[in-house]
Amino acid sequence: MAAAPSLTQVSPSDAELVARARQADLDAYALLMTRYRLRFGRYAFHLLGNESDAEEALQDAFTLAYRSLGRCRHPERFAAWLFRILVNRCRTMGSRRGRREARRAPLELANGIGVPHPAEQDMHREEIHRGLARLVPEQREAFLLKYVEELSYEEMAELTGAGESALKMRVKRACERLRELLSESYAT
Amino acid sequence: MRLDDDLDSQDRDFLQRIAQPLRRPVPLSDRVERKVLARLRTGAGPMPGPSRGRLWTGAVAAGIAAVFALGVLVGRRTAPPGTAARAPHTVEFVLRTSADSGVAVVGDFNDWDPRATPLHADRDGVWTVTVPLRPGRYRYTFIVDGSWRRDPAAPRALEDDFGRPTSVITIAQR
Repeated sequence: MAAAPSLTQVSPSDAELVARARQADLDAYALLMTRYRLRFGRYAFHLLGNESDAEEALQDAFTLAYRSLGRCRHPERFAAWLFRILVNRCRTMGSRRGRREARRAPLELANGIGVPHPAEQDMHREEIHRGLARLVPEQREAFLLKYVEELSYEEMAELTGAGESALKMRVKRACERLRELLSESYAT
Repeated sequence: MRLDDDLDSQDRDFLQRIAQPLRRPVPLSDRVERKVLARLRTGAGPMPGPSRGRLWTGAVAAGIAAVFALGVLVGRRTAPPGTAARAPHTVEFVLRTSADSGVAVVGDFNDWDPRATPLHADRDGVWTVTVPLRPGRYRYTFIVDGSWRRDPAAPRALEDDFGRPTSVITIAQR
Protein backbone atom coordinates (compact mmCIF):
# COMPACT_ATOMS: atom_id res chain seq x y z
CA MET A 1 0.00 0.00 0.00
CA ALA A 2 1.09 3.55 -0.50
CA ALA A 3 1.44 4.04 3.24
CA ALA A 4 4.25 1.51 3.21
CA PRO A 5 7.22 2.85 1.30
CA SER A 6 9.55 0.54 -0.51
CA LEU A 7 11.78 -1.07 2.05
CA THR A 8 14.44 -2.46 -0.20
CA GLN A 9 16.52 0.72 -0.12
CA VAL A 10 16.26 1.35 3.58
CA SER A 11 18.84 0.11 6.03
CA PRO A 12 18.34 -1.10 8.62
CA SER A 13 15.04 -2.43 7.38
CA ASP A 14 11.81 -2.05 9.27
CA ALA A 15 11.84 -5.77 9.99
CA GLU A 16 15.30 -5.52 11.54
CA LEU A 17 14.28 -2.56 13.67
CA VAL A 18 11.08 -4.28 14.76
CA ALA A 19 13.08 -7.34 15.80
CA ARG A 20 15.40 -5.16 17.88
CA ALA A 21 12.51 -3.20 19.36
CA ARG A 22 10.88 -6.45 20.44
CA GLN A 23 14.00 -7.00 22.53
CA ALA A 24 13.29 -3.67 24.27
CA ASP A 25 15.78 -1.75 22.13
CA LEU A 26 14.25 1.71 22.34
CA ASP A 27 16.92 3.21 20.12
CA ALA A 28 15.73 0.95 17.33
CA TYR A 29 12.16 1.98 17.94
CA ALA A 30 13.15 5.64 17.95
CA LEU A 31 14.56 5.11 14.44
CA LEU A 32 11.25 3.67 13.32
CA MET A 33 9.38 6.61 14.78
CA THR A 34 11.65 9.11 13.09
CA ARG A 35 11.22 7.23 9.83
CA TYR A 36 7.44 7.60 9.89
CA ARG A 37 6.77 10.74 11.91
CA LEU A 38 6.61 13.15 9.00
CA ARG A 39 4.85 10.85 6.59
CA PHE A 40 2.14 9.75 8.96
CA GLY A 41 2.02 13.06 10.76
CA ARG A 42 0.75 14.53 7.53
CA TYR A 43 -2.32 12.30 7.60
CA ALA A 44 -3.01 12.98 11.27
CA PHE A 45 -2.61 16.73 10.80
CA HIS A 46 -4.94 16.96 7.83
CA LEU A 47 -7.54 14.69 9.38
CA LEU A 48 -7.56 16.35 12.78
CA GLY A 49 -6.81 19.87 11.59
CA ASN A 50 -4.32 20.97 14.19
CA GLU A 51 -0.78 20.25 15.25
CA SER A 52 -1.53 19.47 18.86
CA ASP A 53 -4.05 16.72 18.13
CA ALA A 54 -1.91 15.34 15.33
CA GLU A 55 1.06 15.00 17.65
CA GLU A 56 -1.05 13.38 20.33
CA ALA A 57 -2.54 10.90 17.86
CA LEU A 58 0.91 10.07 16.59
CA GLN A 59 2.28 9.63 20.10
CA ASP A 60 -0.59 7.33 21.00
CA ALA A 61 -0.18 5.31 17.81
CA PHE A 62 3.57 4.92 18.34
CA THR A 63 3.00 3.95 21.98
CA LEU A 64 0.29 1.41 21.18
CA ALA A 65 2.31 -0.02 18.32
CA TYR A 66 5.37 -0.55 20.50
CA ARG A 67 3.31 -2.28 23.15
CA SER A 68 1.66 -4.44 20.47
CA LEU A 69 4.78 -5.39 18.52
CA GLY A 70 4.23 -9.00 19.46
CA ARG A 71 1.07 -8.91 17.35
CA CYS A 72 2.79 -7.43 14.29
CA ARG A 73 2.68 -10.58 12.19
CA HIS A 74 4.55 -9.15 9.22
CA PRO A 75 7.35 -6.89 10.50
CA GLU A 76 8.39 -6.13 6.95
CA ARG A 77 5.00 -4.42 6.62
CA PHE A 78 5.38 -2.49 9.84
CA ALA A 79 4.47 0.78 8.14
CA ALA A 80 1.09 -0.44 6.93
CA TRP A 81 0.38 -1.96 10.34
CA LEU A 82 1.35 1.24 12.12
CA PHE A 83 -0.72 3.31 9.74
CA ARG A 84 -3.83 1.30 10.57
CA ILE A 85 -3.27 1.94 14.26
CA LEU A 86 -2.88 5.64 13.51
CA VAL A 87 -6.04 5.79 11.39
CA ASN A 88 -8.02 4.30 14.26
CA ARG A 89 -6.40 6.59 16.79
CA CYS A 90 -7.28 9.57 14.63
CA ARG A 91 -10.90 8.47 14.69
CA THR A 92 -10.84 8.53 18.47
CA MET A 93 -9.04 11.86 18.51
CA GLY A 94 -11.57 13.18 16.06
CA SER A 95 -14.29 12.85 18.64
CA ARG A 96 -12.45 15.21 20.95
CA ARG A 97 -11.89 17.57 18.06
CA GLY A 98 -15.59 17.52 17.32
CA ARG A 99 -16.30 18.58 20.87
CA ARG A 100 -13.75 21.36 20.77
CA GLU A 101 -14.11 22.84 17.34
CA ALA A 102 -17.17 24.81 18.23
CA ARG A 103 -15.03 26.68 20.73
CA ARG A 104 -12.08 27.61 18.55
CA ALA A 105 -10.84 28.17 15.06
CA PRO A 106 -10.66 24.98 13.02
CA LEU A 107 -6.96 25.26 12.46
CA GLU A 108 -4.05 25.90 14.75
CA LEU A 109 -1.05 26.46 12.59
CA ALA A 110 1.75 26.69 15.07
CA ASN A 111 5.39 26.71 14.07
CA GLY A 112 4.59 27.60 10.52
CA ILE A 113 2.71 24.40 9.80
CA GLY A 114 0.09 25.07 7.24
CA VAL A 115 1.54 28.39 6.18
CA PRO A 116 1.67 28.19 2.41
CA HIS A 117 5.06 27.70 0.87
CA PRO A 118 5.98 30.73 -1.23
CA ALA A 119 5.57 28.65 -4.35
CA GLU A 120 2.09 27.75 -3.24
CA GLN A 121 0.84 31.16 -2.24
CA ASP A 122 -1.98 30.86 -4.68
CA MET A 123 -3.10 27.47 -3.47
CA HIS A 124 -5.05 28.75 -0.50
CA ARG A 125 -4.04 25.84 1.65
CA GLU A 126 -5.72 27.33 4.64
CA GLU A 127 -8.96 27.60 2.73
CA ILE A 128 -8.64 23.95 1.82
CA HIS A 129 -8.15 23.05 5.46
CA ARG A 130 -11.26 24.93 6.43
CA GLY A 131 -13.18 23.07 3.79
CA LEU A 132 -11.82 19.75 5.00
CA ALA A 133 -12.74 20.59 8.57
CA ARG A 134 -16.37 20.95 7.53
CA LEU A 135 -16.60 17.56 5.87
CA VAL A 136 -18.15 14.76 7.86
CA PRO A 137 -15.33 12.62 9.26
CA GLU A 138 -15.92 9.65 7.00
CA GLN A 139 -15.73 11.82 3.90
CA ARG A 140 -12.63 13.63 5.09
CA GLU A 141 -10.96 10.32 5.88
CA ALA A 142 -11.86 8.85 2.48
CA PHE A 143 -10.65 11.92 0.58
CA LEU A 144 -7.34 12.02 2.44
CA LEU A 145 -6.67 8.31 2.05
CA LYS A 146 -7.51 8.37 -1.65
CA TYR A 147 -6.11 11.66 -2.88
CA VAL A 148 -3.43 12.66 -0.40
CA GLU A 149 -2.13 9.26 0.75
CA GLU A 150 -2.92 7.91 -2.73
CA LEU A 151 -4.18 4.54 -1.64
CA SER A 152 -6.24 2.35 -3.91
CA TYR A 153 -9.81 1.63 -2.96
CA GLU A 154 -8.81 -1.94 -2.23
CA GLU A 155 -6.16 -0.71 0.20
CA MET A 156 -8.63 1.71 1.76
CA ALA A 157 -11.15 -1.09 2.22
CA GLU A 158 -8.56 -3.24 3.94
CA LEU A 159 -7.60 -0.35 6.18
CA THR A 160 -11.04 0.90 7.15
CA GLY A 161 -13.29 -2.13 6.85
CA ALA A 162 -15.63 -0.19 4.58
CA GLY A 163 -16.66 -1.61 1.23
CA GLU A 164 -15.13 -0.19 -1.91
CA SER A 165 -18.45 1.11 -3.20
CA ALA A 166 -19.10 2.88 0.09
CA LEU A 167 -15.64 4.43 -0.04
CA LYS A 168 -16.19 5.66 -3.58
CA MET A 169 -19.44 7.21 -2.51
CA ARG A 170 -17.70 8.96 0.40
CA VAL A 171 -15.11 10.42 -1.96
CA LYS A 172 -17.82 11.55 -4.33
CA ARG A 173 -19.75 13.18 -1.51
CA ALA A 174 -16.55 14.83 -0.30
CA CYS A 175 -16.01 16.20 -3.77
CA GLU A 176 -19.51 17.61 -3.94
CA ARG A 177 -19.24 19.17 -0.51
CA LEU A 178 -15.83 20.69 -1.18
CA ARG A 179 -17.16 22.23 -4.37
CA GLU A 180 -19.83 23.90 -2.27
CA LEU A 181 -17.42 25.05 0.41
CA LEU A 182 -14.45 26.31 -1.52
CA SER A 183 -14.18 29.46 -3.49
CA GLU A 184 -14.86 29.92 -7.16
CA SER A 185 -11.17 29.57 -7.92
CA TYR A 186 -11.26 25.98 -6.75
CA ALA A 187 -14.71 25.01 -7.81
CA THR A 188 -14.10 25.47 -11.50
CA MET B 1 -3.04 8.16 -9.69
CA ARG B 2 -5.21 5.25 -10.66
CA LEU B 3 -8.46 6.33 -12.21
CA ASP B 4 -10.52 3.72 -10.45
CA ASP B 5 -13.31 5.72 -8.91
CA ASP B 6 -16.68 6.89 -10.15
CA LEU B 7 -15.73 10.52 -10.53
CA ASP B 8 -15.63 12.29 -13.84
CA SER B 9 -12.48 13.97 -15.07
CA GLN B 10 -13.56 17.40 -13.81
CA ASP B 11 -14.09 16.04 -10.32
CA ARG B 12 -10.72 14.30 -10.36
CA ASP B 13 -8.97 17.45 -11.51
CA PHE B 14 -10.70 19.40 -8.77
CA LEU B 15 -9.70 16.91 -6.08
CA GLN B 16 -6.15 16.70 -7.39
CA ARG B 17 -5.81 20.49 -7.14
CA ILE B 18 -6.99 20.35 -3.57
CA ALA B 19 -4.84 17.38 -2.65
CA GLN B 20 -1.59 18.57 -4.17
CA PRO B 21 -0.65 21.15 -1.51
CA LEU B 22 -1.66 18.68 1.19
CA ARG B 23 0.92 16.11 0.07
CA ARG B 24 3.85 18.09 1.39
CA PRO B 25 5.26 16.59 4.59
CA VAL B 26 3.96 18.22 7.73
CA PRO B 27 6.94 19.03 9.94
CA LEU B 28 5.73 17.74 13.26
CA SER B 29 8.38 18.15 15.91
CA ASP B 30 10.68 15.36 17.05
CA ARG B 31 9.23 15.91 20.50
CA VAL B 32 6.80 13.19 19.37
CA GLU B 33 9.58 10.62 19.67
CA ARG B 34 10.86 12.10 22.92
CA LYS B 35 7.45 11.95 24.53
CA VAL B 36 6.82 8.40 23.34
CA LEU B 37 10.18 7.23 24.66
CA ALA B 38 9.41 8.86 28.00
CA ARG B 39 6.07 7.06 28.07
CA LEU B 40 7.65 3.74 27.24
CA ARG B 41 10.25 4.16 29.96
CA THR B 42 7.68 5.07 32.59
CA GLY B 43 4.76 2.87 31.56
CA ALA B 44 2.53 5.87 30.80
CA GLY B 45 0.23 6.31 27.84
CA PRO B 46 -2.35 4.06 26.20
CA MET B 47 -2.14 0.32 26.60
CA PRO B 48 -3.24 -2.17 23.94
CA GLY B 49 -5.68 -4.96 24.58
CA PRO B 50 -6.65 -5.28 28.22
CA SER B 51 -6.32 -1.82 29.62
CA ARG B 52 -5.73 -0.64 33.11
CA GLY B 53 -9.33 0.49 33.25
CA ARG B 54 -11.66 -0.52 35.99
CA LEU B 55 -13.20 -3.91 35.48
CA TRP B 56 -16.85 -3.91 34.57
CA THR B 57 -19.06 -6.84 35.42
CA GLY B 58 -22.59 -5.76 36.14
CA ALA B 59 -24.02 -4.65 32.83
CA VAL B 60 -23.86 -7.87 30.86
CA ALA B 61 -27.28 -9.16 31.91
CA ALA B 62 -28.91 -5.79 31.39
CA GLY B 63 -27.23 -5.53 28.03
CA ILE B 64 -28.47 -8.90 26.91
CA ALA B 65 -32.01 -8.00 27.96
CA ALA B 66 -31.81 -4.79 25.95
CA VAL B 67 -30.53 -6.69 22.97
CA PHE B 68 -33.45 -9.07 22.94
CA ALA B 69 -35.74 -6.05 23.00
CA LEU B 70 -33.97 -4.64 19.96
CA GLY B 71 -33.93 -7.88 18.06
CA VAL B 72 -30.16 -8.05 18.19
CA LEU B 73 -28.51 -10.72 20.26
CA VAL B 74 -25.18 -10.41 21.90
CA GLY B 75 -24.08 -13.18 24.16
CA ARG B 76 -20.87 -13.95 25.92
CA ARG B 77 -19.83 -17.35 27.09
CA THR B 78 -17.03 -17.79 29.51
CA ALA B 79 -14.77 -20.73 30.01
CA PRO B 80 -15.44 -23.16 32.84
CA PRO B 81 -14.38 -21.97 36.26
CA GLY B 82 -11.26 -23.25 37.85
CA THR B 83 -8.81 -21.92 35.29
CA ALA B 84 -6.22 -19.33 36.12
CA ALA B 85 -7.57 -15.86 36.78
CA ARG B 86 -5.73 -14.36 33.82
CA ALA B 87 -6.50 -17.18 31.40
CA PRO B 88 -8.44 -16.19 28.29
CA HIS B 89 -12.19 -16.27 28.45
CA THR B 90 -14.11 -17.47 25.46
CA VAL B 91 -16.24 -14.56 24.35
CA GLU B 92 -18.89 -14.95 21.72
CA PHE B 93 -19.95 -11.89 19.77
CA VAL B 94 -23.38 -12.32 18.26
CA LEU B 95 -25.27 -9.94 16.02
CA ARG B 96 -28.60 -10.50 14.31
CA THR B 97 -28.60 -8.43 11.16
CA SER B 98 -29.02 -8.61 7.43
CA ALA B 99 -25.71 -8.07 5.69
CA ASP B 100 -24.71 -8.40 2.06
CA SER B 101 -20.95 -8.37 2.20
CA GLY B 102 -20.28 -9.60 5.68
CA VAL B 103 -19.89 -8.73 9.31
CA ALA B 104 -16.69 -8.39 11.30
CA VAL B 105 -15.76 -7.26 14.75
CA VAL B 106 -12.82 -4.93 15.29
CA GLY B 107 -11.39 -3.76 18.55
CA ASP B 108 -8.46 -3.38 20.88
CA PHE B 109 -8.01 -7.15 20.83
CA ASN B 110 -7.29 -7.39 17.09
CA ASP B 111 -5.64 -4.05 16.38
CA TRP B 112 -8.86 -2.86 14.73
CA ASP B 113 -8.10 -5.02 11.73
CA PRO B 114 -11.33 -5.41 9.73
CA ARG B 115 -10.14 -8.67 8.21
CA ALA B 116 -8.94 -10.32 11.39
CA THR B 117 -12.22 -11.44 12.96
CA PRO B 118 -15.10 -12.05 10.54
CA LEU B 119 -18.41 -13.30 11.87
CA HIS B 120 -20.22 -16.24 10.34
CA ALA B 121 -23.95 -16.30 9.68
CA ASP B 122 -26.47 -19.03 10.25
CA ARG B 123 -29.62 -19.38 8.17
CA ASP B 124 -31.55 -17.06 10.48
CA GLY B 125 -29.22 -14.15 9.94
CA VAL B 126 -27.44 -14.49 13.26
CA TRP B 127 -23.75 -13.69 12.90
CA THR B 128 -21.34 -15.07 15.47
CA VAL B 129 -17.67 -15.35 16.23
CA THR B 130 -15.81 -16.61 19.26
CA VAL B 131 -12.76 -14.76 20.49
CA PRO B 132 -10.46 -15.64 23.39
CA LEU B 133 -9.99 -12.57 25.59
CA ARG B 134 -8.00 -12.17 28.73
CA PRO B 135 -9.51 -10.21 31.62
CA GLY B 136 -9.47 -6.52 30.89
CA ARG B 137 -11.35 -3.73 29.20
CA TYR B 138 -11.71 -3.58 25.42
CA ARG B 139 -13.27 -1.11 23.00
CA TYR B 140 -14.80 -2.70 19.91
CA THR B 141 -17.41 -2.30 17.22
CA PHE B 142 -19.08 -4.36 14.54
CA ILE B 143 -18.57 -3.64 10.85
CA VAL B 144 -21.67 -4.46 8.82
CA ASP B 145 -21.28 -4.09 5.08
CA GLY B 146 -18.46 -1.67 5.70
CA SER B 147 -20.26 0.54 8.20
CA TRP B 148 -19.43 0.68 11.87
CA ARG B 149 -22.24 -0.41 14.16
CA ARG B 150 -22.03 -0.14 17.90
CA ASP B 151 -23.07 -3.14 19.94
CA PRO B 152 -26.40 -2.05 21.42
CA ALA B 153 -26.04 -4.60 24.19
CA ALA B 154 -22.86 -3.17 25.60
CA PRO B 155 -21.88 0.12 27.20
CA ARG B 156 -21.04 2.86 24.79
CA ALA B 157 -17.42 3.98 24.72
CA LEU B 158 -16.75 7.55 25.72
CA GLU B 159 -15.00 8.38 22.47
CA ASP B 160 -17.71 7.35 20.07
CA ASP B 161 -19.19 10.60 18.83
CA PHE B 162 -16.97 10.83 15.77
CA GLY B 163 -19.52 8.91 13.78
CA ARG B 164 -17.60 5.76 14.68
CA PRO B 165 -19.74 4.09 17.29
CA THR B 166 -17.83 1.88 19.64
CA SER B 167 -18.72 -0.22 22.62
CA VAL B 168 -16.88 -1.46 25.66
CA ILE B 169 -16.65 -4.93 27.07
CA THR B 170 -14.91 -5.72 30.30
CA ILE B 171 -13.91 -9.24 31.16
CA ALA B 172 -13.62 -9.77 34.89
CA GLN B 173 -10.99 -11.94 36.45
CA ARG B 174 -12.32 -15.15 37.88
